[in-house]
Amino acid sequence: MKKRSAIKIFFSVVYALLMREITTRFGSQKLGYLWAIIEPMAMIVIFSIIHSKMNTKVSYDMSVFLATSFVSYNLFKDIVLRNLETFSANKGLFVYKQVKPFDAIISRMILEFVLQCFVVIVLLIIGYYVGVDMKVKDLLSVLLAVLWFVLFGFGLAVLFAVLSYFFENFAKIARLIFLPMFFISGLFFSADSLPPQIREILLLNPVFQFEEMIHGFYFYALDDRYVNYIYLIFWTLIPMFLGLWLYKKTERKIIMT
Amino acid sequence: MIVLDNVTKFFKVKEEKKYILKNVNLVIPEFVNLGILGRNGAGKSTFLRMLGGIDFPNGGKIYSDKSFSWPMGLAGGFQGSMTGRQNVKFVCRVFNKSEKEIEEIVEFVKNFSEIGEYFDMPIKTYSSGMKSRVSFGLSLAFDFDYLLIDETLSVGDAKFKEKSKKALAEKINKSNILMVSHSMPILRDMCDAGIVLYDGKLWYYDDINDAIKMYNDINKAA
Repeated sequence: MKKRSAIKIFFSVVYALLMREITTRFGSQKLGYLWAIIEPMAMIVIFSIIHSKMNTKVSYDMSVFLATSFVSYNLFKDIVLRNLETFSANKGLFVYKQVKPFDAIISRMILEFVLQCFVVIVLLIIGYYVGVDMKVKDLLSVLLAVLWFVLFGFGLAVLFAVLSYFFENFAKIARLIFLPMFFISGLFFSADSLPPQIREILLLNPVFQFEEMIHGFYFYALDDRYVNYIYLIFWTLIPMFLGLWLYKKTERKIIMT
Repeated sequence: MIVLDNVTKFFKVKEEKKYILKNVNLVIPEFVNLGILGRNGAGKSTFLRMLGGIDFPNGGKIYSDKSFSWPMGLAGGFQGSMTGRQNVKFVCRVFNKSEKEIEEIVEFVKNFSEIGEYFDMPIKTYSSGMKSRVSFGLSLAFDFDYLLIDETLSVGDAKFKEKSKKALAEKINKSNILMVSHSMPILRDMCDAGIVLYDGKLWYYDDINDAIKMYNDINKAA
């Protein structure tokens, strides 16, 4: 058998995992793909209606605001939460020494990313036909902000995956942490619209700041004045290095058990 | 050639270290079919897994420039929620096979394993015999320098046993085997050299018959 370089093996394995993931997650229940689209759409419609009933004036299109929120938040959340049990779920595959637990995280991340790209395309098409103003202030910065958000998710995903593998209850705790996130992360309000005292407290939540960043670059009426970039760099680097370090230390144990 | 350099492996059983290998140095020469003997719990499977690169010594190093299959055993090595077909495809992709090659391998494994409709059922519905049929058939589709076999030949009905023995005999022309088995006739048939694992130590014999003799002596003494 020919020797392959480590990076080639890595690519083959990630591809194999990805194909596997696509067939198991979406193959068994064809609704899988559809649900990924329906869920954010339903959210957008519901919260748009609530918003219009509340009669608060905003200087941007609320449905577009909600769309950018839900897509980016779902991407982040799914990268972290869907990786929680990824090691034990893929255990059977570690008999092939080429398959490392880390590869499973990468392949899930790619899957989530591709899935949300797909959602964005569908939302864009719908928005175009409905005639919503979807103009972007600074597209490149929006994309960079989303990529940074993904990187933040990746670090947390690695850290949480390792912790939940060794501590049974950690997965439950992680899910618990994410429960209020939906309401406190600026998915349907901007920092600017909050009273200063509440704003200060909520801005401690890095997810809120990431949403602020994305919205700030997307909408002409908003900006990134409430984003503390140094704060977010810390939030990105610390979990990532801690996660990767713990992973490196425990990789063999994960494969062996 | 496989080199074990001062290899130590133990398991912690109730805070006590139970040694499988203790500071073992060994060079397994090239082109040798090796049988691994030992009583239950002596660490035969762990030894095989270490050679296969999915278990790791607590101390020392194992190295080789050869390629090894995954350990084929009763434990399976498949993802239960995936069907036999999906598992086969997965392994093919891990080894970077083209879509055309994958199709051929899938066909081959399907025919070889003779599990019929079960091939498209989740692996968790398989009996252990069915699992090892697929695992064994799959490994035949690749060209490894060493096939790692953990008791696989002792399962299945007489007909399948005969078939897999024949397939393996053919395979041995190109590959070598490292085999764990409790069946002395199979070991005599397939292997040239033998290893006996006992009490944290390892004995290597150039002749499998000597290894079998020692194994029998251990059993008598116990």
